[in-house]
Amino acid sequence: MTVPAVLFTDVEKTYKRPRLLGAEYHAALKGLSFEIKAGEVTGLLGLNGAGKTTIMKLITGLLFPTAGIVRVFGHSPADSAAKARVGFLPELPYFPPQIKPGEALFYYGRLSGMAGAELAPAVDSSMEKTGLKPHAGKRISEFSKGMLQRLGLAQALLHKPELLVLDEPVSGLDPLAIHDIRALLAGLNSEGRAIFISSHSISEAEKLCSRVLIMVRGSLAATVTREHWESSPGGLEKIFVEAVK
Amino acid sequence: MNIIYLIRAVAFNSFFESVRNRFFTLFAVFAFTAVYASLLAGVMAVDQEARVLADFGLALIELTALAYALFSASSALLKEAETKTIYLVFSRPVPRWAYLAGKLAGALLTAALMLIVMGGIHLSLLAFRDFGLPDCYAWALAGTFLKLAVIISFAFFVSLFSTSAVSTLVISSVMWTLGHFAAETRFLAEQAPGLKGAAFKILLWLIPNLQIFNARDSAGAACALGPAVFFSAAAWVAASYLAALWMLSRKEF
Repeated sequence: MTVPAVLFTDVEKTYKRPRLLGAEYHAALKGLSFEIKAGEVTGLLGLNGAGKTTIMKLITGLLFPTAGIVRVFGHSPADSAAKARVGFLPELPYFPPQIKPGEALFYYGRLSGMAGAELAPAVDSSMEKTGLKPHAGKRISEFSKGMLQRLGLAQALLHKPELLVLDEPVSGLDPLAIHDIRALLAGLNSEGRAIFISSHSISEAEKLCSRVLIMVRGSLAATVTREHWESSPGGLEKIFVEAVK
Repeated sequence: MNIIYLIRAVAFNSFFESVRNRFFTLFAVFAFTAVYASLLAGVMAVDQEARVLADFGLALIELTALAYALFSASSALLKEAETKTIYLVFSRPVPRWAYLAGKLAGALLTAALMLIVMGGIHLSLLAFRDFGLPDCYAWALAGTFLKLAVIISFAFFVSLFSTSAVSTLVISSVMWTLGHFAAETRFLAEQAPGLKGAAFKILLWLIPNLQIFNARDSAGAACALGPAVFFSAAAWVAASYLAALWMLSRKEF
């Protein structure tokens, strides 16, 4: 049996906010269980505060679950073995404005354990795939939002991860940039990479994903397959609206 | 994965980021102030101009480097968290201890470069005024570096639990000031009775004695910093690093 790319079992995440007297607790995820198969494109839909970013951060080891088990390719997300197989694009990634994209990618490549003869071709390939090569001579301060997002994707792709975790990858982009990024993600999936996308855009999820998880206030309200929404009148949008109402 | 390679990558990235930022502005401020002060010293110090210029310059070097080091150490981790740069680091197979060691090494490298360049400016100014190399000059800079190492690592630790860069800056500055009154605190601990004395004794364990790094306080050949001084600096840096690591390993982003 193939090990799933991501496995959540009864996961809970509660944030603690210290107050003058005691603390305030907020349950971001409650009893969440799902899995993402290797090579699959899975979407994550939900309103603001539904727990989408929390899920992404749990997968990438930036947060620790309060209860339950998270596994990435059978490992704890904090393990190097798991992290080496995951590429992460946070929402609105930041890069130092004074440097060139290649310099940023060299740094993140080194952090991914790449060195010497392996590093330069990986940087080159990432820039090629994301269409950044013609802009290699520019400083990041000259980049548009779409180009920054491409750079974010390029750093996530550097170490050829088997799972891409993308938090709002097309947020705030113009239609052409969205089209390009969608084509890029489709190409990456055809190479066998699993992609997990959090998005506010139902139409994007419809175009890219084979399955969508709908989150409502920290719980999984529905898991919808492409076959399901394609055969439903009103499509994914109607299913989503009914789930979150 | 080669951990040394990883630490070096974080350290050099941190160092070059400092160089790209406000680094050279401070050098310019230092150079201008040193030149201006030398003119004043020439007028006021009369026959003690060399001594005044040397001491004033070294004090200025220490304060300039301290100001930059504290600003940079206080905001280094906070800025990476705020800009989400840290997401791109900790979602990779980078152990938190290696990241912290790299950031600390980068800050120390920046402090060392600042001291070397400002020392160079200072010595050029002294040479321009026909003064020779002041006594214990290299040891004085070495002592300043050790002081900076202690306070930078402490600032890293504080920045992991304080709510803002300003509060880290204030707490670390207070620690730096208290560290220069260790002898006085020891005297108070010996003189004060009962609970007060015990409180001062505890305080002595929690505050680094930064006076031992002042090489030029001792006259002549005795200004060389002994192994105990280096050991003390290493122990404080290690203690702050371990405390910071304990905080960082539990921190969520």
